[in-house]
Amino acid sequence: MGREVAESCVDGVIIEMVSAYCKRFYGTKPELAARRIEAIGYQVGHQLIERYTMERPRFSDHLEAIKFICKDFWSELFKKQIDNLKTNHRGTFVLQDNRFQWLTHISIDPSSDNSEATEDPSVSMPENKAAEATSTHLYFPCGIIRGALSNLGIPCAVSADISNLPACSFVVRVKA
Amino acid sequence: MIACVAVVGHQNNPLYLQSFTEADDALKLHHIVHCSLDVIDERVNNPKRSVLTLNETFLGLLFPTESYKVFGYLTNTKVKFIMVTTDLDVKDADVRSFFRRFHAAYVDAVSNPFHVPGKKIASRIFAGRVSGIVKTFALGTNG
Repeated sequence: MGREVAESCVDGVIIEMVSAYCKRFYGTKPELAARRIEAIGYQVGHQLIERYTMERPRFSDHLEAIKFICKDFWSELFKKQIDNLKTNHRGTFVLQDNRFQWLTHISIDPSSDNSEATEDPSVSMPENKAAEATSTHLYFPCGIIRGALSNLGIPCAVSADISNLPACSFVVRVKA
Repeated sequence: MIACVAVVGHQNNPLYLQSFTEADDALKLHHIVHCSLDVIDERVNNPKRSVLTLNETFLGLLFPTESYKVFGYLTNTKVKFIMVTTDLDVKDADVRSFFRRFHAAYVDAVSNPFHVPGKKIASRIFAGRVSGIVKTFALGTNG
């Protein structure tokens, strides 16, 4: 009963969505664009988790749910699992993906990689803009993770860390 | 013969309530569904390890009244499905397969981008699928 769509189409739609929200719809208000994209991701995650937990027994604790996100949920979305999971056992989890699929199309400028630790703002400007542009593409997956976890009964806040592309870490902080 | 099916959200808000009897006792069926919510909460919070696996989705027979049997099913997202049947000798396997198909229909209904989570399910396709599942259940137990 399911129809299939090429993966590149999904990638294209997501890239275009980020571009449309950041440049056209909320061009002057980037924080609103970020919140809208994250809200879209929240709804998608909410509905997807309903579908992917259909045949499974219930989770006994938060760690089980996070492990489900790392393994089965991520494999359904990206055909691979999260490469590394770290936790401080006090409500914070770091999910690291060494090659996040939706960032593979973003080029990493090699010249800005030789960061000489100069505090000159004019030099760090292009690097900041690149980092900013990359972070706009991460609101959607953060929203997906947040929506999935809150539908499982775990309210949380999710942020992304892109200090070394193409690896990407998602930091999940469970709200007590 | 299934009298009534209900979908209740995780804050015990009703998402879908449909009775299949011709008689006018819809209110009594709603009352039975409401009471069974308490039983579900009790089962989930005080698990009887000898009787029920801790994390199974199918909760089994919740409580038998004089003319009905009530079955429950709890999903991972804390959504409860409740089925009230007048058949006094239903097979466990039939009920499980009923809930499996019902869960599939529910997931499809909730994946609708126009559905607002927390509001009632207003999809006619869902209602149609549910009556189809109920009919096959009735045929299965009579056959």
